[in-house]
Amino acid sequence: MNKRGNYMVFLALLTAIVACRKPYTPKAILAPGSYLVVEGVINSGADSTIITLSKTINIATKDSSAFETNAQVTVENEGGTSYPLQEFKAGHYLAIALNLDKTKKYRLHIKTAGSNEYASDYVAVKPTPPIDSITYRITDKGLQVNVNTHNPANSTRYYRWAYEEAWQFHAQRNSESIVKGTDIVPRKPEEQIYYCFAGDKSSNIVLGSTEKLQQDIISQIPITIISPRSEKLQIKYSILLKQYAVTKEEYQFWENIKKNTEQLGSIFDAQPSQLKGNIHGITNPAEPVIGYIGVTNTQTKRIFITNNRFPDNYYPVYADECEVISAFFINALTGANDVDFFIFRLGYIPVSPIISPRGVTIGYKAAPIECVDCRLRGHIDAPDFWEL
Amino acid sequence: MKKIYFLSFCFLILLKVGYSQQTTVQTISVNFQQATIEQFVTELEAKTGYHFYYEPAKFDSLKITVQLDNKSMETVLDAAFKNTAFHYAISTNHEVFLTKGREIQLSLAAGFFGIKTGAETQKNNVVTQVKEFADTKDKVVPEATTENKLYEIGTKTNTIGAGNATLSGYVRDGKSGEAVVGASIYVTNTKTGVASDQFGYFTLSLPKGRQILSVRGLGMRDTRRQIVLYSDGKMIIEMKEQVTSLKEVKISAEKVANVRNVQLGVNRLDIKSIKQVPTVFGEADVLRVVLTLPGVQSVGEATTGFNVRGGSADQNLILMNDATIYNPSHFFGFFSSFNPDIVKDIELYKSSIPEKFGGRLSSVLDVTNREGNKKKFTGSAGIGLITSRLNVEGPIFKDRTSFSFGGRTTYSDWLLKLLPEAYKHSQASFYDLNLDISHQIDDKNNIYVSTYLSKDKFKLNSDTSYGYSNRNANIKWKHNFNDKLFSVIGAGIDRYQYNIASFDNPVNAYKLNFDINQTNFKADFTYYLNRKNTVNFGLSSIFYKLHPGNYQPNNPKSLVAPDVIPTQRALESALYVGDKYDFTEDFSVSGGVRYSLYSFLGPQTVYNYAPNLPKTSSNLLDSTNYSSGKFIKTYSGPEIRLSGRYQLGDNTSLKGGYNTLRQYIHLLSNTTAIAPTDVWQLSDPNIKPQYGDQVSLGIYRNLKSNTIETSVEVYYKRLRDYLDYRSGANLVLNHHIENDVLATQGKAYGIEFLIKKTTGKANGWISYTYSRTFLRQTDPNEGELINSGLYYPANFDKPHDFNFIGNYRFSHRFSISLNVTYSTGRPITLPVAKYEYGGSERVYYSDRNQYRIPDYFRSDFSMNIEGNHKVHQLTHNSFTIGVYNLTGRQNAYSTYFTEQSGVISGYKLSIFAKPIPFINYNIRF
Repeated sequence: MNKRGNYMVFLALLTAIVACRKPYTPKAILAPGSYLVVEGVINSGADSTIITLSKTINIATKDSSAFETNAQVTVENEGGTSYPLQEFKAGHYLAIALNLDKTKKYRLHIKTAGSNEYASDYVAVKPTPPIDSITYRITDKGLQVNVNTHNPANSTRYYRWAYEEAWQFHAQRNSESIVKGTDIVPRKPEEQIYYCFAGDKSSNIVLGSTEKLQQDIISQIPITIISPRSEKLQIKYSILLKQYAVTKEEYQFWENIKKNTEQLGSIFDAQPSQLKGNIHGITNPAEPVIGYIGVTNTQTKRIFITNNRFPDNYYPVYADECEVISAFFINALTGANDVDFFIFRLGYIPVSPIISPRGVTIGYKAAPIECVDCRLRGHIDAPDFWEL
Repeated sequence: MKKIYFLSFCFLILLKVGYSQQTTVQTISVNFQQATIEQFVTELEAKTGYHFYYEPAKFDSLKITVQLDNKSMETVLDAAFKNTAFHYAISTNHEVFLTKGREIQLSLAAGFFGIKTGAETQKNNVVTQVKEFADTKDKVVPEATTENKLYEIGTKTNTIGAGNATLSGYVRDGKSGEAVVGASIYVTNTKTGVASDQFGYFTLSLPKGRQILSVRGLGMRDTRRQIVLYSDGKMIIEMKEQVTSLKEVKISAEKVANVRNVQLGVNRLDIKSIKQVPTVFGEADVLRVVLTLPGVQSVGEATTGFNVRGGSADQNLILMNDATIYNPSHFFGFFSSFNPDIVKDIELYKSSIPEKFGGRLSSVLDVTNREGNKKKFTGSAGIGLITSRLNVEGPIFKDRTSFSFGGRTTYSDWLLKLLPEAYKHSQASFYDLNLDISHQIDDKNNIYVSTYLSKDKFKLNSDTSYGYSNRNANIKWKHNFNDKLFSVIGAGIDRYQYNIASFDNPVNAYKLNFDINQTNFKADFTYYLNRKNTVNFGLSSIFYKLHPGNYQPNNPKSLVAPDVIPTQRALESALYVGDKYDFTEDFSVSGGVRYSLYSFLGPQTVYNYAPNLPKTSSNLLDSTNYSSGKFIKTYSGPEIRLSGRYQLGDNTSLKGGYNTLRQYIHLLSNTTAIAPTDVWQLSDPNIKPQYGDQVSLGIYRNLKSNTIETSVEVYYKRLRDYLDYRSGANLVLNHHIENDVLATQGKAYGIEFLIKKTTGKANGWISYTYSRTFLRQTDPNEGELINSGLYYPANFDKPHDFNFIGNYRFSHRFSISLNVTYSTGRPITLPVAKYEYGGSERVYYSDRNQYRIPDYFRSDFSMNIEGNHKVHQLTHNSFTIGVYNLTGRQNAYSTYFTEQSGVISGYKLSIFAKPIPFINYNIRF
């Protein structure tokens, strides 16, 4: 229910004239300890199961999470059959295509390197219906990507989505020349640094429920909104949507995380609540463990959107506009060699040659590397899935 | 002093008349040479046995030279005072009165005061019972308008009998004819007093004979009435309005009331003092001023919710002319529901809650509206930055029936236009209307009709619109059976409703309605048994009908499934009796019992849960259907209201009290403030009523002839079955609300200090409160243990709270006010650790309410400028100009941690973070 949410945001804005928001850093707050964090989904289908183990860290420190390495992680069913996971990189544990029996209940069992044991509750397999379609809408706020799905059996009701984005973009200036040794020569097509690809994973929690609807139909639930000023929409944009069916309890768990970290901060804010996952300590039952492990098959769908679909006001705005300079071999005023100075000493990238009316190259237009090299924010090679 | 002399003269003169025949002549011899009056009198007294009465200062210039033998006293005195300005008079009792300038006439007509005196009528200690009868039909109740006249009360008799008689009467404003509520009538001789009730009536038992009544009222000029009380009788006291251009702070009706009242933990404020306190948009606000009283704390800045002595915001019973107001705020809480032009005064009961009130645990805020002017049409209007208001009142039938109408509205859209683009097209508005009618049928019967309607509406730029409304109407009949028994019988309906609607996406378009209705009946009786006992008794009954949520599609295409939470019905009744008994003049006790009986009524489907297990969906067994009118679950119990006062000297008293209360209705809100869209819930088989008791002790002392009042009160309070929420509770449209709430126990204690100066150019008050409130949930059968079952501070636990309200009057047309507030920050739950989850950094929160937001400090300043004071002009104007949050301190309304682009940062949200100037223009006509 987001009804109060709207009201609160409005209130916050109503008072915007007189209200203000300031950073707030309370004095060092120390957690009584460091707790295990378990994230992932037991994939009942043909996709791989990836579980991440980490530890909470003190809020005051600048470090990012500390991974829990060298743990023994297994998926177990009530009958005692177990499927081991392998650590493929620090804190990340993987099992390929478990193809579980959908009539059984499963849990995750963890034994850390410090010999502490943890297990999640046994959970039944909850199948995920396929994604019907991904649609998008041009709004004032940007490109809104929506999802549509349904379950004719009316049995899913609670959904969670995650997504991976990919996009093609270009640098602000196209460099036609390249420095090779002590020479500046025309750039070959395979040496281009103008067009690149970039990608990102979702960082917000997207949930949907049809609990209050007569039918289990998800219609136009917004997944993400991309600003018209974003580089993501410059040429072509793609989104891979992952859909998970979740139980009511799991839904509440995710909703709590979302409320606690994404929705607080309005006048009528709800109390942050304690998280109640479904993972418990076996060695020490009183120890808090963060995480909720569900069992489902993931449904995915990808769409591509090209920029000819967007209105004219969709174009990126950069923090620093590029300044292209004209560097001559012989500066008419000072007589200095600006090409040598800017390109070879300061590292400016030549953009294009400056040719005199007689057809002689007398210098180069040049720009700082941020202006011309898209590789600073992406990769030249298209990802495997990219459709051309 | 002079008066006493004069009275003694009169008395003695009369005696002389009576005894004159018996006088015998005595002779004396004297020889004085340049004697002083002292020597003269001493010798004469020694020789004759006469007694002399005189004022020595007036005789200090007199030197007496007289020599006489065997002459009468008269001859001696004639000779002594010959050719001087001095005179004498001799009574039959051998008393000599010496005067300067004026001679005392002893030959006044007998029966000058209508009392025939003399030996034959003197009934020395023999009390004859004169048959007293009240011939009220042809006897006009005297309207006592002046101080210097002696009014005769009761049936006149030749002699004044011994014993007490009952004086009952009515205090009214001589100008408007309106009743003066809470005026104190104090009998100087016996040091007893009463206060007029909410309709201006009073009854008082006092010794027969000559008495002086000292009368004081809120905003009225102090006055006296002289009476001779022959037998039980009535009188009307007309008081004059205090004509001060600048309103004074007057908290108490009676200067000694705080010391002499049996009740403790009671604050009374009149609208004049309320209007002096600066508020954010310049309009006087009843609830903001309540927040400055000791023991009362604000829920937050943009809300009118308040916490009294560690109680939650829904534990306050808010009454306006006896109508229950469920949402006392307008416009996101920036304004309170009470129109300052209509309100007469307010009373807040924090500890000694009278037996006639019940149903809430913490406090009763009783707001009384003014009665309309019974003599002429008057009105007032005010223009502020966001609101305007108008009030008109006047007689319908002169001196008998009057009306009072008040209305307020907003024009706030200009403010909304200043908002960022995304919210520019929002709308917000409110209005409220009051119409009160009072009618006097005869001097024994009065009828009062009171109605109130408020409506708030706002729409976000998004597609969702919100609205809420209070609707109240009631009628009261006040009847005086006789001088000793009064009754007020009333009936009314109260309704609060809200709705939310969404239109944008046809598939999800919905509307959600909530409302609570109560029909109430009550009868209150007051019986003045005798001088020592005042008995109150009565009964009340409230029928609740609550629609907790009705969720419907708002569009033919909408897929929204209608969802209706079944209507809840309940009947809450109470019987009460209480007595105020004066053991001695110094020791009074007020005790009462209220027996409350609550029944949750059918038709209803009630869910049954496995015993001794948490009430969660997994422990749901089955459900039972109850038919209409069936008593599904009944809760009942006595409530005790006890308070006592022991007087330690004239200006000091010690008071103590104990009371218990029960509350059958709960507000469900897991936000820190009251939102207009919070849901009320009736107690049912799965949700128990709340129970609380409180013991309190106070010491009161008035200094500097009652101009400075001081008090210290301590209290300890226990709460049972107060609702807190499970983590992640969903309170809207929840068919199994019992799954998401937890019954907790609470304790609260504190000490409150108050120093108040009520008069003078500089006046105001300072209050300081130290208080704590804790809750805990220890029963694992209830479900999750919050903070492992230990006590944790409640959301509104703010240990230190300091308030200063000061006014200074420079002249009759110019005054300034300053208001300073400090309190400890409220508790919050802070993140203590962070981790990665769902693609972002997340935070792990501490145990509930283990940290606090920064302390709160604010100061406000305002100036009142009055127009000229010519009496005969069309309108009287005044301006209020001021600044809210003078220092511009950025008080934290809340603090929160949020993830933006994968990084967690803490933020502090402040409202009114800058000095906010305001101006208000008021007209009276």
